[in-house]
Amino acid sequence: MRKLSVTVFLLNSLYSLTAFASPELMSNMVHEKVLKNGLKILVKEDRRAPVMVSQVWYKVGASYEYDGITGVSHVLEHMMFQGTKNLEPGEFSKIIAANGGQENAFTGADYTAYFQTMEASRLEVSLRLEAERMQHLNLQQKEYEKELQVVMEERRLRTEDKPQGQTYEYFKAMAYTSSPYRNPIIGWMQDLKDMQLADLAQWYQRWYAPNNATLVVVGDVDATQVFSLAEKHFGAIPAVSFTPIKQRVEVPQLGVRRSIIKQTARLPYLLMGYKVPVLNTTDKETDVYALELLSGILSSGNSARLDSRLVRGQQVATNASAGYDLNARLDSLFLFDGVPADGRSLQELEKAIISEIDNLKKTPVQQQELDRIKAQVIAAAVYQKDSNFYQALQLGMLETVGIGWRKEAEYLDKVKAVTAEQIQAVANNYLIEDHLTVVHMQPQPIDSKREARHAQ
Amino acid sequence: MHSKVSVLLAFMLAMVGSQSMAVPTIQHWQLANGAAVYFVPTEGLPLLDVQLVFDAGSARDGEKLGLAALTSVLIDQGAGSLTAQQIAEQLDSVGARMGASSSRDYTSVSFRSLSDQQTLKTAWGVLTKVVNTPSFPAVDFSREKQRTLLSIKQREESPGTLAQLALYQQMYGSHPYANPIQGQYDSVEKLSVDELKAFYKKYYVGSNLTVVLVGGISRQQAELLVDQAVGRLAPGEKATPIAAVDTPLNGAVIQQSYPSQQTHVLYGMPVLKHNDEDYFALYVGNHILGGSGFSSRIVKEIREERGLAYSAYSYFSPMLQKGPFMMGLQTKNESLDEAVKATKQVLTQFVDKGPSEEELIAAKKNISGGFALKLDSNKKLLANVVGIVVSGAPLDYLNTYVQKVNALTAKQIQQAFQRRVSIKNMTLVTVGENKDANN
Repeated sequence: MRKLSVTVFLLNSLYSLTAFASPELMSNMVHEKVLKNGLKILVKEDRRAPVMVSQVWYKVGASYEYDGITGVSHVLEHMMFQGTKNLEPGEFSKIIAANGGQENAFTGADYTAYFQTMEASRLEVSLRLEAERMQHLNLQQKEYEKELQVVMEERRLRTEDKPQGQTYEYFKAMAYTSSPYRNPIIGWMQDLKDMQLADLAQWYQRWYAPNNATLVVVGDVDATQVFSLAEKHFGAIPAVSFTPIKQRVEVPQLGVRRSIIKQTARLPYLLMGYKVPVLNTTDKETDVYALELLSGILSSGNSARLDSRLVRGQQVATNASAGYDLNARLDSLFLFDGVPADGRSLQELEKAIISEIDNLKKTPVQQQELDRIKAQVIAAAVYQKDSNFYQALQLGMLETVGIGWRKEAEYLDKVKAVTAEQIQAVANNYLIEDHLTVVHMQPQPIDSKREARHAQ
Repeated sequence: MHSKVSVLLAFMLAMVGSQSMAVPTIQHWQLANGAAVYFVPTEGLPLLDVQLVFDAGSARDGEKLGLAALTSVLIDQGAGSLTAQQIAEQLDSVGARMGASSSRDYTSVSFRSLSDQQTLKTAWGVLTKVVNTPSFPAVDFSREKQRTLLSIKQREESPGTLAQLALYQQMYGSHPYANPIQGQYDSVEKLSVDELKAFYKKYYVGSNLTVVLVGGISRQQAELLVDQAVGRLAPGEKATPIAAVDTPLNGAVIQQSYPSQQTHVLYGMPVLKHNDEDYFALYVGNHILGGSGFSSRIVKEIREERGLAYSAYSYFSPMLQKGPFMMGLQTKNESLDEAVKATKQVLTQFVDKGPSEEELIAAKKNISGGFALKLDSNKKLLANVVGIVVSGAPLDYLNTYVQKVNALTAKQIQQAFQRRVSIKNMTLVTVGENKDANN
């Protein structure tokens, strides 16, 4: 992520109820076109305001990386702003700014994406510049050395100096064995130190091509016009041939994994995760949607079970949540995290969460409770329409991880169809101890602060 | 966290007014109990966004630090005969969202719901009870107090938060803005439920309230909803103005030692009240200095030239009394000296010489060309209107904004900075593994 100050790792965000939906009451027409060179273009016309967002998604991210070069996708994302054949370092951003635009980029486990939000008539500026850096990136040693320092600072900010962030990194590395999800998106510090400009050049050559990308435009635009502008700017970029990516399927987990992680911190922290399938990997879609609702029952809204029973009822947690991202590319984790209430232990909190899971295994959820979760999903689908950016994000992400953007239109119906029995069944089938990883972060005392002050 | 809220406010006040686009008209009326209402009808989506803004921020805490914040936390934890769980269930059953939070100046209750009758009947019914008859149950009070205490403890594991707290304390001295919004451990521990009730009774009143609604409802509906939710609040008394802020003559340097890999660096001084006559000049100047990401000088120098930080920025945060001008970054401990010197140098030079013509043109292009982006969703519209009305800006603020920005000269910006900002007056806080901490 190249953001300056806002710290959100999109796919890395553990705790959001991902709700990809299409409320029946609104038109939801997506126009699709594939250029001869393989570039896929998706357009959604939304005329509420005279603005548009343009996003270019590449099918590459941290989960495509292998040992020794972790973080290369993200560093390359940074370098995509540092000059091309026809643009000086920083000139890309300067042109977007001069056109009143906002821009940024983000890297996840399964994608790297670039975006500009602009007044709708400036669409061509965005397409021209994205086409330029898709084919003519100019990787320069001087810019690289500096930008690598920036990425290391980003890592220190997000991970080294954030006790919970650091804990999550160790947690993932233990939970996954052969899956590339074990590596941090930003890369291990040593890999960053060892990285060479040549690593980036190879990565760029290998993945940045029209037939590995999706252009998504949402806003006050005309689809046919977007298609013709895209043809004009991207049409001549040659496709490249790809060797299929290795599958790197996670090996079966054969028993619970536990670890203690010590951090300089004040509050203890619990992380738990069960191995689960996702939309892209399952042949039983209903299971995935049932897991989605299961995470809602536990953690969607203030009335959900973890808040209701663990934070308010038993007061064993000061906060607790569950999360599941059904849109990952590879098998993933059904996650729990929490901080014990004052005077309560990590063991007690873990036990309370396990007991909630046991409950779900034994007793089907009440219809009223299920309806409450579905109502939230339906409302959230409307709320998301308030943002062009998120509409584009949904399409781009589904397409890029391999699910296909058309799945978006099914989401709401599939979620609505989930029954209490299905939720009970997935709890029994997937939330089992042998597939569980647990981490207890134990806070270590912070050196007492020394403070010095003097006049300037 | 607090800084983010302030950034947003400063930002939202700034984003406004193009001639090329229809600017929404803000409708306004007043209730008998003094509540001021602002409404912008929108089309296209069946949803309603509302914010109730009470003049009841943490600056009203007095000796009881954390009182305003804890009151706002308890507001939806029991109302009339409803328990916290019932409140949550009713809102969740229709997918509505409600939350309350405090800043130094205000406490806001925010609400989002689908706008159909059936949904609103349930969701708005809950909001009405929460605003009018919060019950502050003892069990919820003691739990939320414990949670706040833990959250206060957790501040100590974040060097960035520690830096913010130290900076506000130094910049504002004995002024109420000096204190953390959530209060201090000792002060929160002492709070009683009766104190929360008294605070609610005194400050959650009609004459202290601004209501903003944006969404797919009619004026008539809006009037009915507002009457229902806040029409029966007592008029009460308007909160007395918050004391003026004395600008310290000289800034201090505060170095806190913390076992982190990065040192967090913050510069700050109190500068701007809402509606200050220098606002536009300072806003556009800051856009160039450190407010517009990659095209701003601080980012260019600290990040693009030297690779010293991931995040580097500056901003003005206008408040009811003088809110801060801040500059910030985080850098590995070894680079601290270089980063501090470079930041200081950028500011000094900017104040000294002002922006170049080229920079000013680029800033104007960015602000005016991006105007449409500021109002492209209900959520942003709500944020903008709240920013305008709580600051007391004229309701046609959006219509004249770009004009005012475009009228500025480099000289005016330079002069405004020279009048209002000086590195000598800024407090510098560093929190990190600082070898010189004992100097």
